[in-house]
Amino acid sequence: MNNNHSTFRKIYLYVCVLQEQAKTMERKDSLSLLCVLVCVWTQATYTQGSTQVPEDFTPEPIVLPHFTSCRSREQETFRCWWSTGSLANLSEPGALAVFFHQNNLMPIGWQECPDYTATVENECYFNKSFTHIWTSYCVQLRATSQNITYDEYCFTVENIVHPDPPVGLNWTLLNVSRSGINFDILVRWAPPPSADVQTGWMSLKYEVHYRVRNASHWDKLELESGSQQSIYGLQTDKEYEVRIRCKMSAFDNFGDFSESVFVQVAPIPTKVSVFPMALLLVFGVVGMLFLLVLIIFSQQQRLMVILLPPVPAPKIKGIDPELLKKGKMDQLNSLLSSQHMYNHDTYREDPWVEFIQLDLDDACEKNENSDTQRLLGLTRPGLKGDDDSGRASCYDPDFLPDTEGLLAAHSEMEERHPLVSESSPSTPSPELAETPFFPVQSQPVSQSWINMDFYAQVSDVTPAGAVVLSPGQQNDTPSKNPVDKTKKEEEEAGKEEEHEKKMKLQLLVVDPDRGYSHEVIARQVESSGAPFCSAPEIAYHTLPPEPAEEPHGWHGEYLAPDGEAQMAYFLPEAPPASMLPPVSDYTVVQEVDDQRSLLLNPSARQSPACPPNPIKHLPSMPAVPVGYLTPELLENLSP
Amino acid sequence: MLEMSKTVSWLTLLCVSVTVRGAPAPICPHGHPGCQAISLADLFDRVIQHSSRMHGLSSDLHSEFEQYFIPNKIQIGTRRCHTSNIVTPNGKENATKLAEEELTEVILKLLMAWGEPLAQFHESMTQHADYNIYSSNKALEMSDMVYELRNGVQKVAEKMQLLGIISNLLNGQDFLEGLDAVDSSEIFSVDYPNLLHCFRRDSDKIQSYLKILKCRILPENGC
Repeated sequence: MNNNHSTFRKIYLYVCVLQEQAKTMERKDSLSLLCVLVCVWTQATYTQGSTQVPEDFTPEPIVLPHFTSCRSREQETFRCWWSTGSLANLSEPGALAVFFHQNNLMPIGWQECPDYTATVENECYFNKSFTHIWTSYCVQLRATSQNITYDEYCFTVENIVHPDPPVGLNWTLLNVSRSGINFDILVRWAPPPSADVQTGWMSLKYEVHYRVRNASHWDKLELESGSQQSIYGLQTDKEYEVRIRCKMSAFDNFGDFSESVFVQVAPIPTKVSVFPMALLLVFGVVGMLFLLVLIIFSQQQRLMVILLPPVPAPKIKGIDPELLKKGKMDQLNSLLSSQHMYNHDTYREDPWVEFIQLDLDDACEKNENSDTQRLLGLTRPGLKGDDDSGRASCYDPDFLPDTEGLLAAHSEMEERHPLVSESSPSTPSPELAETPFFPVQSQPVSQSWINMDFYAQVSDVTPAGAVVLSPGQQNDTPSKNPVDKTKKEEEEAGKEEEHEKKMKLQLLVVDPDRGYSHEVIARQVESSGAPFCSAPEIAYHTLPPEPAEEPHGWHGEYLAPDGEAQMAYFLPEAPPASMLPPVSDYTVVQEVDDQRSLLLNPSARQSPACPPNPIKHLPSMPAVPVGYLTPELLENLSP
Repeated sequence: MLEMSKTVSWLTLLCVSVTVRGAPAPICPHGHPGCQAISLADLFDRVIQHSSRMHGLSSDLHSEFEQYFIPNKIQIGTRRCHTSNIVTPNGKENATKLAEEELTEVILKLLMAWGEPLAQFHESMTQHADYNIYSSNKALEMSDMVYELRNGVQKVAEKMQLLGIISNLLNGQDFLEGLDAVDSSEIFSVDYPNLLHCFRRDSDKIQSYLKILKCRILPENGC
């Protein structure tokens, strides 16, 4: 239309210009008429379009009054709003009126708005009496002055219900994730107070929206019929905005949104999680170090061995150093007996122990061999009675069986009286029965010793191979019981000091505790005479008994180390020491008589078996057991 | 024994499927032995639930059909339903003012009125090829629900009568038959959008009336 008008104007102007130019010309009249007609025509067309032009030309389009909306909040009342439009004359209040019509059974006709709200402009309020649900309404907007209906709007009330927003929106924290990054909340609300939910007049459904604050997009949750809903997966470092709105179920008209609620949870746990980890690490390292130090200190020696191997110490061949520490005495004795140096050392300590040097002659060896064989031969049972046959030595063949008998008797004695003392760790009984009566089998034993003695103590071995016997121990092999020996020797030493003055002999024959009478030995030795291999210079003497002590002879415990049992010794004072026959150091106790005296040869009670010589020398001497004399006998023996 | 157990299991399955669809659980006939009686409150709850479901279906169908048939303003204003002649309370106050018996009657009348038209509606839907299957299923379900709801409300009325809450109802068998006779109108035959609109409105009425009735008979907090 505008283009047309502009072209028409141009044509008009052009024609008018032509007309003026034509005026100068002679044919003015026809041209002017033409121009006028054209002008009138364009004018006419222009004026025709003028009725439409004001709409295009006016920048503001005319807006008629119309209804903006009709809403019900609680399905009991409703309101309608309208707009006056752009017409100036209709903006005045009262220029427009609203009429409504109900489509119900009672056709009343159009009625005017029952209540124009005073406070709000252009609002018509229909109260409860005018509100009928399930009936269709039609409202019209009419001009008051003219009969013009500007707008009409028909509806049913239940379709225009927009519930009020829910009230009381709040949130509670459900939980925070372990990592502390996410959390869940529970949102609660109450239905709008205007909606009658309790009677069930309105059944509402709620929709929760949430978003990160100042974000553009809202997240929606599902419609909820109840009054609470959970929101999951929120992040702790962000602030959230939550709002809610509701609508009638089975209808689509949502109400307005409620006020927004802001949700934020502080990300606290991150700190806490780091701290224990660092502490744990520190503790772990400290613990490891402690453990390492503990291991090093506990295994220090092993480590030292590994790192710094020790120089191997010199070893004694055949001797286990551990055995020396912990081994039993018998094992130790057997062990050390194989070593030569042990005996040597022990005997060096005893000053009063002197050794009898035996020079072994061929004759002795012959005798010795025979004697050895005889001694070893244990076939001859019983004891032969000793007679005063004036034997020169104990090595008479007649006597030899007695030795064997003594051996047997000794074994019998063994059974009755345990010869084992408390201090003696070794069990003498098996040893006495089993072991040969020579402490050292390989070594030749002097004839003088062997005759009556089943036990002899080897004190030393000469380089030539001869055995040096020493008295002092009754039935033990010299290689064993070094402890005992030292003990006995100590006791002996204590007692011998008194007698040392009296000692004429270099040899201490008898241990007073043991009660071996060396008299017999001495006599035997003496009486042996030439056949004795013993050195002639060796003199024997018997220790005098200790009168102060026990007058009684033997007690059962002749092995008692404590020295309670004192043996009665008698010293044959009259006969010189040289006269005394060699006395054996060890004698076998065969029997104990009523008076608790040990009998070496019970059958020979009346007549001492071994040394017939002393009887010769002391004819008044009553029957004495071989080598032992009781105090009673002592008196008798004194010449 | 096997057959008995089979029938029993089949029956239970049927019941379960029915309940899943939203139908009310079968209510024990009066005096039936071995059947556990349901309280009035439970009956009301079930019935109200059912009516809500029915109303929801009607709304869905109506909105689906409204896409095809947009009514102008004039039509909305002058729309008439075949149940318009049934006097129904138009507001909350009106409904609360009404006596329980009358309210129950109104409900039953409405339910009666809609049984037949909905069945026809479903039939016509199946005949037309352009209607989708989901809408057809909804229509069928809706039609079944009307019958079930009718039975349910009748049971509620009987229970109420039994408890002495309401006096003798007018809706005996005669009443119902009279309603059926009245409802043979031709209005609903073709105008499906109008039918759906009407039914949507009436189902809302039924739901609201039932709620009000329950609140009045069994007063709870806020009723």
